[in-house]
Amino acid sequence: MGETHAKGAIYRIVEEVGEISRFTGRFFQQAVRPRFEWRELLRQAYLNGYLSLPLVAITAFIMGLVLTIQSRPTLADFGAETMLPAMVSISVVREIGPVITALICAGRIGSSMGAELGSMKVTEQIDAMEVSGTNPFKYLVVTRVWSTILMLPLLVVLADAIAIWACYIGVNIKGSVSWSLFNQQVLDALVFADVLPALIKSIFFGLAIGVVGCYKGFTTEKGTEGVGRAAHSAVVLASLLIFILDLVAVQITEIMGLN
Amino acid sequence: MEAEVTSTTVAPPDISADAEVVIEIKDLWKSFGENKVLQGFDLTVRRGESVMVLGKSGSGKSVLIKCIVGLLTPDKGSISVLGQNVLGLDEQALDGIRVKIGFLFQSSALYDSMTVRENLEFPLRRHSIAQEGSDSEAMVKEALENVGLMNTIDMYPSELSGGMRRRIGLARTLILKPEIVLYDEPTTGLDPITGKEIVELILQLQKKYGTSSVIISHDLNVAKLAANRIAVNIKGRNHAEGTYDELHALEDPEVQPFFIFM
Repeated sequence: MGETHAKGAIYRIVEEVGEISRFTGRFFQQAVRPRFEWRELLRQAYLNGYLSLPLVAITAFIMGLVLTIQSRPTLADFGAETMLPAMVSISVVREIGPVITALICAGRIGSSMGAELGSMKVTEQIDAMEVSGTNPFKYLVVTRVWSTILMLPLLVVLADAIAIWACYIGVNIKGSVSWSLFNQQVLDALVFADVLPALIKSIFFGLAIGVVGCYKGFTTEKGTEGVGRAAHSAVVLASLLIFILDLVAVQITEIMGLN
Repeated sequence: MEAEVTSTTVAPPDISADAEVVIEIKDLWKSFGENKVLQGFDLTVRRGESVMVLGKSGSGKSVLIKCIVGLLTPDKGSISVLGQNVLGLDEQALDGIRVKIGFLFQSSALYDSMTVRENLEFPLRRHSIAQEGSDSEAMVKEALENVGLMNTIDMYPSELSGGMRRRIGLARTLILKPEIVLYDEPTTGLDPITGKEIVELILQLQKKYGTSSVIISHDLNVAKLAANRIAVNIKGRNHAEGTYDELHALEDPEVQPFFIFM
């Protein structure tokens, strides 16, 4: 009995991976073909990027501040308090900034895409779009996925900057470092190989959030119950994919000697 | 809030037997897994004619019109719309046919994120009609005046009642002035008075624009008021066909239960 359940679960996972891969392939196929839905893309960039700014900014500020405050005692034990700006900025830029921003966006954007497209599916709005001569995949999915691909790196850069600024405040709670010295310490510590891989992986995080949110919404079944499930599973799956992609990115940068 | 709609009863126009055939469905089959929904359905609709497909819930009526417009692909059979076999068309050609077919969804399917104006402009923009010199604003206003809901132009669908949503759905369906309109359960979920208003509106607009229509319903009041002809869908086949009176008089044990409350 247990073996059958395990086989069933494995079969469903493999099937889902296959379906999402096919959905991603369809996205790439249609993403570069005209007609381009610029107006809808701009609207989605506003909804998914601009409207995510407050949440990302507040989280990044708290993240930078807390990381600084929590790290200080350990560094102080080794007499390395002056390393605080370098340590926090490297942690934020390479890892924490992209991952936390992506997780926030998976929660905010992924769930909203799953719920919105899911409810459009069950109320026949997607069919209505198709009979009015509009390719719903292009209009709804391609624009949403492009918006997350484009917006996530921008949000990550902003989150990094705010977290580092919060670190400056954190450093000055118990010490006194000038902005120019702090800045110098951060810039001395960060190299190109810290920034570029992080930005590249944030593009893939954006792709994962967009594809999973749209896939879950676009394939919603069983009425309003299905809409709730689509929103919930979009967040869970997108978050899981972010960690998996992060692990893969770390391995690749390791192999390429960028660590 | 809801504007008055003229409540004079309008009858479906008389259709001559040699009028052009606009929809021809032959031996249509469609299954979902083991569930055989359509099992050799045949139907012919002539220009200007209003044909109602009557059947029990879950008998495949909606599946039939979704096949006509290309939302579902049948397993077997042929569907000819305005002389073109829709099953052999590529996406672009299918879109060309879809401009000539209007579809009123059971749920109205208004886009929640758009205002009434944007909902009506959407099909115009998609077919570049607004850019071709036509005044989209005037077309939107005409469509809203047709359904008596001019005052809702800047409202969102969530602010409208069920009857108003159905009327706005009808306005959006007819804004491209299609030659054929497919109605999926146009009165389901509405009270009898609003339902009758919707049927009268359908007839008025059908008369105004000369459209042919296929109405899917299980409501015989709709059949009585709006249909030239009724096709009874039983077990996925066109079991019987005729006018309301002909079917009412038919002593067929499969057809008679539909008239039990009439």
